Amino acid sequence: MSSKDNFMPGDRQGGSTINNTPQQPRNASISSSSSSSNNTASVGNSNTNGIELDGKYKQLEKLGKGTYATVYTGINKKTGQLVALKEIKLDPEEGTPSTAIREISLMKELKHENIVRLYDVIHTEEKLTLVFEKMDNDLRKYMDLVYKERCKLQQQSPSSLDASLVKFFAFQLLNGTNYCHENKILHRDLKPQNLLINKNLQLKIGDFGLARAFGLPVSSFSSDVVTLWYRSIDVLLGSKSYFTSIDTWSIGCIIAEMISGVPLFKGANEDDQILKIFQVIGYPRERDLLNSGWYVNLPKYDAKSWDFVKSGLDTIHSLANILKLNLETHYLTLDLLVKLLQLDPMKRLSTLEALEHPYFNDLRRSQV
Amino acid sequence: MSTTSSLKKTDKSTTNNALYSNQRVTDDDIFRNSSQFSKWSFTKQQLKDIRQNLADETLLRFQEKLKSYLAEHESDNFLTDEEKEAISSEFELGISSEEQLQIVSLYAQKVQIFCTKLKLPSEVIATSIIFFKKFYITNSVINLHPKNLIFTCIFLACKSENHFISAETFASKVKQDKQSILENEFKLLESLKFSLMNHHLFKPLHGFYLDIQSVLYGKVDKNYLGTVYEKSKKMLLNSYLTDVFYHYSPPHITLTALILEDEQLILKYLELKFLGFDPLTPEEKLNESQLISKKMYDTLMKTIENCKQDLKTSLLPDRETAWKIDARIHYFLDPMSFIKRFRAQKESNSNSNDASDEPDKKKQKIE
Repeated sequence: MSSKDNFMPGDRQGGSTINNTPQQPRNASISSSSSSSNNTASVGNSNTNGIELDGKYKQLEKLGKGTYATVYTGINKKTGQLVALKEIKLDPEEGTPSTAIREISLMKELKHENIVRLYDVIHTEEKLTLVFEKMDNDLRKYMDLVYKERCKLQQQSPSSLDASLVKFFAFQLLNGTNYCHENKILHRDLKPQNLLINKNLQLKIGDFGLARAFGLPVSSFSSDVVTLWYRSIDVLLGSKSYFTSIDTWSIGCIIAEMISGVPLFKGANEDDQILKIFQVIGYPRERDLLNSGWYVNLPKYDAKSWDFVKSGLDTIHSLANILKLNLETHYLTLDLLVKLLQLDPMKRLSTLEALEHPYFNDLRRSQV
Repeated sequence: MSTTSSLKKTDKSTTNNALYSNQRVTDDDIFRNSSQFSKWSFTKQQLKDIRQNLADETLLRFQEKLKSYLAEHESDNFLTDEEKEAISSEFELGISSEEQLQIVSLYAQKVQIFCTKLKLPSEVIATSIIFFKKFYITNSVINLHPKNLIFTCIFLACKSENHFISAETFASKVKQDKQSILENEFKLLESLKFSLMNHHLFKPLHGFYLDIQSVLYGKVDKNYLGTVYEKSKKMLLNSYLTDVFYHYSPPHITLTALILEDEQLILKYLELKFLGFDPLTPEEKLNESQLISKKMYDTLMKTIENCKQDLKTSLLPDRETAWKIDARIHYFLDPMSFIKRFRAQKESNSNSNDASDEPDKKKQKIE
């Protein structure tokens, strides 16, 4: 790889003069070990602007650093198409990280307009690079941008999105998740940061590092998955046998966040998260109209402090309040949210049911 | 029931367009859109061609090796004409496609044995074997000796099937050097074309187990069906050592195993499931929809019949053949070892006429 880099004179100079700093010590150490016989040119390799992958892609600017990978913008040299390069460093102790193995394994199977496409996997001596479809923003950043635009226009509104856009994103999110579920894959980490948006306002689900396949019988997972704010109540209460319903809960939270601009349940810790959910949705007992008692065997069930609480809440009203939506005009939106944010996982809508909810009637009609 | 639906389709034309939100996706759609189907399913001829190509390449490398070895010793009179002739005829054999398949199957069985010893779940065992076998579809055994890939496959299968075990623990459990396990992981991933997901046979088996109970409700003893299930599962685990995985869909293979276990029971089930009338009814007595069902049923039976043969065909070599192939891999890596053996054999032949063809040392190595 390094020998190819040296055929790029422009970068050689740029690298040795501008980027010859400890800014990226990791890259520098890789290139110095792999091309120690070269002189100044090897320093040029530490400049990310010159690195080529497999002769097919050229690595451009660094976009960010995730849990187990660094993401760069890249360009497909043949087509000129921009791509996202997720560079995974190999762990000398464990080989290819199992999160990467899992992500590759799943992404190779998932081909859907609302899921980020994995184009290619490239590997060199010390790292593995996943070549993904390039998107422009994640949903959180997109909402922040909207907020900034509004500030410029002196509008004192939070980073909420227009109702029609909320619906369009929600539909795509449900569509993509539905496809995952049909393929017997749980995402397990749906949150605005993992939903990517492009210029055409297409929403695509990304980051399948935590996702896993499920099947019969239902296996148990650790409850540390799904970032706290989007974690479903049954998982918070210690349920180990969860299913597709954990993703639909997250979707409910995300739709609410698009409407109001702020996370719906912003708990500081697990207990606080549980409390915040109860304050809006109600307590399990009062919501459990059929008396199924789905929650009584869960580790965190606290009969003493829960069962006597009578919040007198009506979920739809409390959601309308917190999201500042008019109950009459936004009835369908609120109804969908109530059905996605059911405490009892068995009662939560499936993605398919949610897609068939009347809230989406106008979108479905235009699609056919 | 969705697990059986693949039996109705045989074409590759299912497209992503079928996956719209308001249409239910069947397990068969998922399979037909999987990398297992698009990248790792072959017709018998295709698979034969791929393997022959590999064998041709391997032979070329044997020939080159021979040439350079002979050239090395051209002037030093190290080799007698007889020795030259012997090594030439040995190297001209290369590793045929049958031999490669045999030796790989043998080591795939070792993968299975190690996995069982490690008490790994069926899915991990199956994936390990699949990884192993797929690697040697495009890689010759002379590139990497199968014994050196066993643990890499098992370890990668653990990761990809979500059966967490650290490299350290794994290495100590199998008493191997960790580095040697990780060393070939990349090459393996690449040879697998990074498609790691497998549609295994255990889910369809469970599906049929449940469906047979509902279709034959009251007609089949649950305990008996339980033993059929267990026996079929064993057969399915062994089926990974054959080539069926490349040629048939998981429900087909599963049904075939079930039929081999209890033909009468399963035929009854399929009749009720697909026909609802006696399959021997003459065609002119059937109405239009019955005719369609009959056609599907017959296609299914034909597929099962083919699969039956493949499932019963063992690819494992006998001991002597295995030894010969293994020795030739060794000779390729070290031609001198052939000459040494040739000389030793000649010597012992002249000492006693009843000397065995196979040195015992070698024999032990492969066992």
